Parts: sequence; C-alpha cells; structure tokens
Amino acid sequence: MRLDRWALMGLIQLSWADSNLTERSRDILPSTFKPPQHFRNVNLVRKINLEKSYPRETINVVIENIDAAPQSEYYLPFEQGTLGRVGGLVVKDKKDPDNIGFHAEIVEIDPYGATEYYKITLPTALPSKQQQTLSLTYWTLAALSPVPFQIGQQDKQYIRYPFSAYAPSAYTTLKQKTKLKLPSTDVPDATSLPKELNADGKADPEKQGTSYTYGPYNEVPAGAVQEVSVRYEFTHPLTHGSLLERDISVSHWGNNLATEERHWLTNRAAVLKNHFSRVTYAQSAYYNPPTSALKEMRFPLTVGSVDAYFVDDIGNVSTSRFRSNLREANLELRPRYPLFGGWNYKFQVGWNGDLKNFVRRVKGTGETYVLKAPFFEGPKQIEGVEYERIVTRVILPEGAT
Amino acid sequence: MAAATTEKTTTGFFFEGETGRNTRGLLRLIILCTIAAAAIASRLFSVIRFESIIHEFDPWFNFRATKYLVQHGFYPFWNWFDDRTWHPLGRVTGGTLYPGLMVTSGVIWKLLRFLTLPVDIRDICVFMAPAFSGLTAFASYLFTSEMSDSPSAGLLAAIFMGIAPGYISRSVAGSYDNEAIAIFLLVFTFYLWIKAVKEGSIMWGALTALFYGYMVSAWGGYVFITNLLPLHAFVLICMGRFSPRLYVSYTTWYALGTLASMQIPFVGFLPIRSSDHMAALGVFGLIQLVGFAEYVRAQMPSKQFQTLLRAMVLVVFALAFGFLVLLTVSGTIAPWSGRFYSLWDTGYAKIHIPIIASVSEHQPTAWPAFFFDLNMLIWLFPAGVYMCFRSLKDEQVFVVIYAVLASYFAGVMVRLMLTLTPVVCVAAAMALSQILDTFLVASTPDEGDANKKPQANGTPAGANGSVDIKQQFANLADGLRSTKAPLVGIYSYLSKSMITGAITAYLLLFVLHCTWVTSNAYSSPSVVLASRLPDGSQHIIDDYREAYYWLRQNTAPNAKVMSWWDYGYQIGGMADRPTLVDNNTWNNTHIATVGKAMSSREEVSYPIMRQHEVDYVLVVFGALLGYSGDDINKFLWMVRIAEGIWPDEVKERDYFTSRGEYRVDDEATPTMRNSLMYKMSYYKYNDLFPAGQAQDRVRGSRLPAAGPELSTLEEAFTSENWIIRIYKVKDLDNLGRSHQEAVAFEKGNKRKKGGAGKRRGPRVLRVD
Repeated sequence: MRLDRWALMGLIQLSWADSNLTERSRDILPSTFKPPQHFRNVNLVRKINLEKSYPRETINVVIENIDAAPQSEYYLPFEQGTLGRVGGLVVKDKKDPDNIGFHAEIVEIDPYGATEYYKITLPTALPSKQQQTLSLTYWTLAALSPVPFQIGQQDKQYIRYPFSAYAPSAYTTLKQKTKLKLPSTDVPDATSLPKELNADGKADPEKQGTSYTYGPYNEVPAGAVQEVSVRYEFTHPLTHGSLLERDISVSHWGNNLATEERHWLTNRAAVLKNHFSRVTYAQSAYYNPPTSALKEMRFPLTVGSVDAYFVDDIGNVSTSRFRSNLREANLELRPRYPLFGGWNYKFQVGWNGDLKNFVRRVKGTGETYVLKAPFFEGPKQIEGVEYERIVTRVILPEGAT
Repeated sequence: MAAATTEKTTTGFFFEGETGRNTRGLLRLIILCTIAAAAIASRLFSVIRFESIIHEFDPWFNFRATKYLVQHGFYPFWNWFDDRTWHPLGRVTGGTLYPGLMVTSGVIWKLLRFLTLPVDIRDICVFMAPAFSGLTAFASYLFTSEMSDSPSAGLLAAIFMGIAPGYISRSVAGSYDNEAIAIFLLVFTFYLWIKAVKEGSIMWGALTALFYGYMVSAWGGYVFITNLLPLHAFVLICMGRFSPRLYVSYTTWYALGTLASMQIPFVGFLPIRSSDHMAALGVFGLIQLVGFAEYVRAQMPSKQFQTLLRAMVLVVFALAFGFLVLLTVSGTIAPWSGRFYSLWDTGYAKIHIPIIASVSEHQPTAWPAFFFDLNMLIWLFPAGVYMCFRSLKDEQVFVVIYAVLASYFAGVMVRLMLTLTPVVCVAAAMALSQILDTFLVASTPDEGDANKKPQANGTPAGANGSVDIKQQFANLADGLRSTKAPLVGIYSYLSKSMITGAITAYLLLFVLHCTWVTSNAYSSPSVVLASRLPDGSQHIIDDYREAYYWLRQNTAPNAKVMSWWDYGYQIGGMADRPTLVDNNTWNNTHIATVGKAMSSREEVSYPIMRQHEVDYVLVVFGALLGYSGDDINKFLWMVRIAEGIWPDEVKERDYFTSRGEYRVDDEATPTMRNSLMYKMSYYKYNDLFPAGQAQDRVRGSRLPAAGPELSTLEEAFTSENWIIRIYKVKDLDNLGRSHQEAVAFEKGNKRKKGGAGKRRGPRVLRVD
C-alpha cells in the first residue's frame, strides 16, 4: 500500500521562527553585504494591523527597476533578531493576483550584521525602467509587550508596539506612508513626529478613529529608520504557543485518521501585580468583563470529527464541550485554571475522523493513495494565537512506501 | 453446580465417566474465566464513570515510583534517593519501599512493549488491581478445593472472592496500592502451603517460599504470613500431628522464604532481628527438636523416652526464652513495633503514636462494616468454620487458625478487613456448598442403600469422580460424635426447592449488594469529586487537579510546597514539586514540625517555614462546598502530633473553648483564630458573602464578621470551589521591618490615617 502525502498548507506559505534557523538552503553573506541597488520604491503604503495579539504588516509597494538589465531579486530587510520571529511572509502581485511563482528565501548575514534579509525572487525578471506592484504581508511573533508589565487582576491592559515610521526597505523610497489599525480608541501614547518630516506638513500622526497614519514622507534613503511607538489598550490574552506537536496517524485497521495535538501555551500578557484572587475572579464571572486571561479556546475541527478528547499531564480535563453536527464540529475547551499573564498551560487534544474523508485512491494506479489532511488546526480565538514552532508528523500505516 | 442424575439421560454421556470428567473440567475452566471476568468488570466503575486515573493518596506514590522505574531502569530504582520529598532530608526511597508492585507493572510494561503493544504505564497501573483480582479468584478456587471435597466449594469461593466488597475496597481500577497484588499472593501462598503440608514435598515448600518472597517484596502485611504459618505448624505439633510432611514443608519454607525475604532492602535483616519474626524462628527450632525427639522415640523404650522428653522440653524452652529476653533487652532484637502493639491494645496508638491513630483506616472496625463489606458471607462464615471442625485435617486446622486470627485483627483495624475477606469467602463457600450439595439433588435417596452404605449425605455420586466417600467417612469417624450418625438425605421436593430457592435469593441479593457497595462506596477516585447538577447530569469537581496542575505549570520546578502529610504523595505525583512531608510518615519529628507551623501563630510559623525553604503552603478547605475531609477537620491531629514533640509550645487544650468545644466561629479560642491553619483557611472567605453572613458549611457555623489577616503569606491561588488554597511565603521585607509592621504600614498608607505610629510593637523576628 502506497500513500502519498500532501499537506494542505492553507493559503500562505508559512515558515516558523526557530525552524527558520535550521533550514537547509541559505546563502551566507558577509556582514558588509548590501543589496544591489537595482530597484527603487516609487510609492509605498504600509498597513500595520494591531487588532490581534500579533502585528500584521502589509507593504504595498510599486517597485521600479533602475538598472539597465532586467532584475528579479528584491530584498526585504529586517532588524537583527526580528527575522527569526517572522511568523509568515506572503508575496503577491497586487495588480495581477494570478501572477504566482514568487519565491521568498532567507539570506543570512554572518551573526554580527545588524540587518537580515528576505530575498524575494520575482517569477519573471522585471525589465529595465518597468514598474511592478508588490504586496508583502508578514506577521511578527512576540512583538507586542504589555506596558506596564504588572497590572491588577481587573485592570485594563496596555500594549506597546515599537516600530519605524519609515517602512523597512533596502532601496530608496520616493514616497511612503504607514497606516496603523488599532483595536480601540484608548491610545494613551503615540509618538508625535515633527511636522517638518511630514510631506504635507500636517500633524504626524494623523488620527482618525482607531486608525493612525504616519506620513506621507518624501524621499527616504535605503535603510532609514525613524523610531516611533504606540501604546494602546488591548485587554485580551497574548496567547503564545511555544511548541505545538501534531500527529496525524493514518490507520487502515481502524479506518480512521487520528489527530493528536500537544500544545505548550503561555500567556504573554501583563502579569498580575498581586497574586490571583479567587474572590475577584468569581465576582467578575457574572458580568464577564474583558480580561487579559485566557479562559476558553475553541477548536473548529473538520466536519465529521468524532471522539474528541482533552487531557493534560495528570488526566482528563472535564471542562470541555464537543459539539458536532452535519455542518460543524467544534471543540470548546476551558483550561483547568484561567491563564493570566505569565502562566503556562500544557495540554493535549485529539480526535478521530473517518478515513474516507481524507484519503482517496489515485485513479488508475492501483495501490497509490492521496492523503489530504489539514496541516494545522489550532484554536480559533478572536484575538488570535501565535505559534513559535509547529511540528507536524504524518504517521502512515506500517509498510507504506 | 453440576447437577448429575443417577438416571441415564442424554446428558449422562457428558457428565459421567471419562468424558464426563473432561466436560466438567472444561466447564469449570469456563466458569472460572467468567468469574475472573466478572471480578474485573465489577471493578471498572470508576474508569467508566470518570477516567483512567490513579486514586487516593498512596497509589500516587506507587505510580510515581513506577514511572521512575520505567524511565531509569531497575538499578537506579533500587538505589533511588529521592530529594524531592521530605525536604530538606530526602528519602532513601529505593531502600524504604516494597518494590514488588512497581517491578510487577514494570515487567508487564516491558513484556507488552516486547509484544509491540505500546501501552501507557498509567493504564497498566490503573488496571493492575482488577487484573490481579481475577487471579485472586482463581487462587481462592485452588485453596478452597484443597479444603473441601465438594466440587462446588471452590467455584463458590472464587466468585465470592471476586465480588466481595471487602476486597474490592482495595482493588478497584486505579487503586494502585500494594494490596492490589498482595491479596493474590497471600491466598496463593496459603494454597501452596496447604499443598506442601499435604504432600510433604520440597517442591511445594519451595514454591511457597518463592511466593512468600514475592509477597514480602509487595506488602508489609507479609508479617501475617510469617506468623500464621508457624502458628499452624505449632498448633499441629501441639495436636500431636507432627509428621515428616510438616517437617519437610516447614523447614523448606522457612529456610528459603527467609532468605528470599532478606533480599528486599527494606526488610533486610529484620527476619532475624525483629520480634515480629521470632515466632517463625522459634517454631523452626521447635520443629527440629520435635523431629529429633521423634527419631529418638523410634530408637528407645517408651518409659525412658518420656523422662528424657520432659527434661529436654523444659531445658530447651527455658534456654530459648531466656536467650530471647536477653537479646531483646540487649537490643540485638528489636522490640515489637508500635503498629504491632496497637493491634493488641486499641488505645495504645492514641496515647503513644498519634500519627498512627490519625489515619482513618487504622481505627477499630464498626460492626455494620462487617455486614457492609461481606454481606451474607459474614453469617455463613461461622458455619464454614464449624464445617472445618467436622473433618479436622491439617488444612482445616489452618482455616480455623486463620479465621480466628483474622477475625480479631479485622475487629481492631478497619484496614485488616482485607485479610479477613479471603478466609470468610473460603469458609462461607464451604458452608454453602455443603447446603447445596445436600439439597440440590433431584433424586430421592434410597433408604435401603443408605443403610448399607451411609454415603447418601447428599453428595451427588457422580459429581466428583475422584471422591472416595468411604475414605472420607473413615476420617470422619475419628472426628466429632455427630458425624458418626449416618446421614440419609432429603426426601421432600418441597424442602429441597424451598432451600434452593432461598439460597438462590440470598446469592442474588449478595450480588446486588456487592454491586451497590462497589458502585457507591468504593469507586470514587477521591481526587475527583462528583456531584449532580439540578438537571441530573454529572458535574465533576476537579479542584485538586486544578490546583496541582497550577503548581506544576506556574511555579519554579524546585519550589518547596508545605502541606499536611496527607497530600504529600499527590503533590509529588501530580504537581511534581518537592514536599516537606508525605504519606510515608517515616519521620515523626518532621511531621510534627509541619504540624507546629500550621498550628502556631504567624510569628512562630514564619521562621520555621524560612528554615525549611518553604515557597508555597497548600491547605485544603471545604467550607464553601461542604467537603468534610478538609484540613480544619484534621487540624486537631496536627496539634496533637506537634504537641507530642513540643508539649510546651503547642497545647491541644488551647484549641478548645472553655466548654470543651472545637469551634471556628466567634467563640473560637484566640489560639485557634491566630493559628496559621485557621488564617489560611478563612482568609478572604468573608468577601464571598454579604457582610456578617459568612457560613462554614462543614462545621455548620457562622464565621466571625471580620476575617483573619495574613502578614507573612500571600494568597497565590485558590481553586474554583475553594477546596485547595495555595499561599506564597513572602520574602523578607526589603526595609528590614517585620511583616506585621510592613502590612500595617501599607494599610495606614491606603487609609491616609497616621495610625502607623500607634502600632503595638509586635514580637521581633530573627531568621538565621
């Protein structure tokens, strides 16, 4: 019996922090390396979305080849240490979504360099003097930090996000601006930049509801940095999965696909100033205010999943519910205790699915099968969950080649 | 029951003659397998209702030790020094445990892995006790079959043993304790011993020694065997039944068994040094003398022999006794252990060793417990013992001795009900099988036949082909007078059917009772509590694991947790944190130290906790839920144990009101209200209720309007239903103040009163 395995990768090409550092193909460049100035950014709009517990940045940029020859390698710079925490990078052609074939690759500078790069290879080399609009989206893990670091059990939590008002770029940028999307209007601190920097001479940043805009700015040289930071209210947990191990085992005897996930979660939210008070917690349970504690998780599973379980190191956790019907299969979990800032929780969940929903025989090849299973089915939280490292193992029946 | 008829029927082919024997053998095997299955199935209530989880307290240690064995291998386990218990002393765990249980499950685990069945070690531990109870049923079948000629006695004993609550109480799934395998070993060793005495063979004697060695490695209750077998031998000698068979089996067992038992580090040289084992040694000497005397008698005229014997017995006895006393006084032989004394004097422990008396399973048994645990067996039991007197052979003597001793012990300690259960099952099965054999015969006895051969005592002629009834009666003739009268049998179908019907009803009721008791009384894991919601659905109260898991995940891996010793094993197993004291209770002073810290004022307790590097203190508090097994109810034992070591500093009297009541409300004594335990239990509890309405649902009393204040500890975690409360021990104050001053200062600041200066100077603490 032969089974080919496919992992459904979602829509993005994901790559993970630590696993990046152990990947095999990489160019090691000297620290003096500077990307060749073949391009310039004609217009750049960066959107930073801070509504989740991790920031998502989208850079829409019109690039122009200023070299004589056609060029296809575009470099995206990251500060030292940040690149390892990039939780995913998507490159698209903004004008032509069907234009696929972008290739992103980490190029490593020796450890003393201040900047690291993603090398993005365009599907077709851009001819001289031609322009193309790229859309680069990436997520950064563990980038938000609560300030103040300690809060009371029922206090609001404020998050500080430091970034550069100039979008990171390895090329000269002619015109750019940065839009922030914040989760609320409660923003006690946002760095104000002098009006002189602003191309329109207006107040910088410009506020409009929950969105803040830095810029527009005129021509900025490659690698320019203008540090700013915002501090905003975000009374939600900053759930951080330090490790997720996921086993998908195919059993031809049981005719099922068993999935088991082992999660190591930490809440990166502000830690409790005083210790946990059950009285306060029990009293607040009646009106359920927003809190930085992780109380509940919801796993939307593949329809048709059965036998869900939720255990941890010392046995079954009885506070879970599994709702399964024809349209959905939801696993709702409550950890043994609410996870306040700095607290950890390790647990396992698992479920079974009918094998015929995941495996099909390849036509005309006899004993060749195709497995199509979700690569990742984490908990779905409103505020999002970030994972530092995911290990997915597919266990095929014995004797499969 | 094999209901054979004397008439030729179609079934006659299967139940008579050679094929009949095979069929019956097969049937018996099937019945035994079914019994084993029933025994296992009735122990699975807790797994089905809750989950595959280790129960109670001691099993958590056994489980932890088993995991250690499986992870690190046998020799590291043998030499295991555990620095995560009894902080800062540590415990030489490898040398102070009975390794039989852990090694057994380790071997099963290895075996299953070898057969490519990767079973989780936890599941092996959970299902260990039920699996062995199946074996116990089989062992009691063998044992009873040696006792009685009736074919049904063994099977009845097996099923009784399989489902008797007295045994189930210690062997439900998850109750991974030494008793789980020890009862099987106990019964099986007895069977082998009986076999050895009957056959007089070295092989059976050696097998007895082998299983005795296994038993020693598994349970401290092996002392029961160590004393029962010599007693049996001694009684037999006194009855003038000394025989080469007895000599061979006893000497083989004693020599090999003692050597085997000395291989266990925890036992070591006890068999030759402790008084508990002296009976076996004494009988070993005696049996040599008797053997020698028998030999001499065969060589000498009887007159001279009488004189010689008398002189020799006196001299030897005086010498041996004097020697024993000398050794005991000089300290070479350890005197009887405290637990042993408490077996003879039930008040002993309460006065001298409160730590033994504080354990609920060491209390004397209440009368209803006998009926609760054994149901109808308890009234069949005397009848069965009486049956033993009717044909008093060597093995019946054994049952009689066992019955007398075990009944006494079961009356002294609840826990020893466990050793009584096997003999009750055996005796009851013998009595019941006698009744069934008499009344369950379809044919009417033939009077003429009965006159000729007094055999028609109801035993079906074909029921057991190997029974030689003539011989049986030859033996009986020497016994009691009543057995000399010929038994005829029952003529009337009415009485037959009535008795059979009644017995069937009793048996059914017995099954019902056993199932009910097992389901309601013995299947709760006690780590998880179950309650019912208004709509009837089950609600699980999982506070223990909530708090333990919190400790496990959110505290430093080496944070020391102080709690009363009951929870030591659970904290070690579930929270994986070092503890000060645990259920091993080997160091009374250390336990008393914790007791003193719990029962003293904060100013006294804090230095103790600092000296022991305590980071967290864990208390169990049931007042919100009405959970009566909490620390306030156990508090007096902490006081008593602490008082045993520091009679000047902790006094039990101070915790009772002037009228001698133990109270927690407004009338509680100052000592009580200032004790750390009281403060930790009720800290902030008032805030849950409207002012002045705080209720303690366990003690049924209203609490003082103002709750206690804590200055040296801060609340770190409280579980959902408040059953577990964890406190963090504060570090020393940064400004060098005492904690009382610091807290008062903080308060003063908040209230914007200048009251800080009015403080009365609290006692100055010094921590070295």
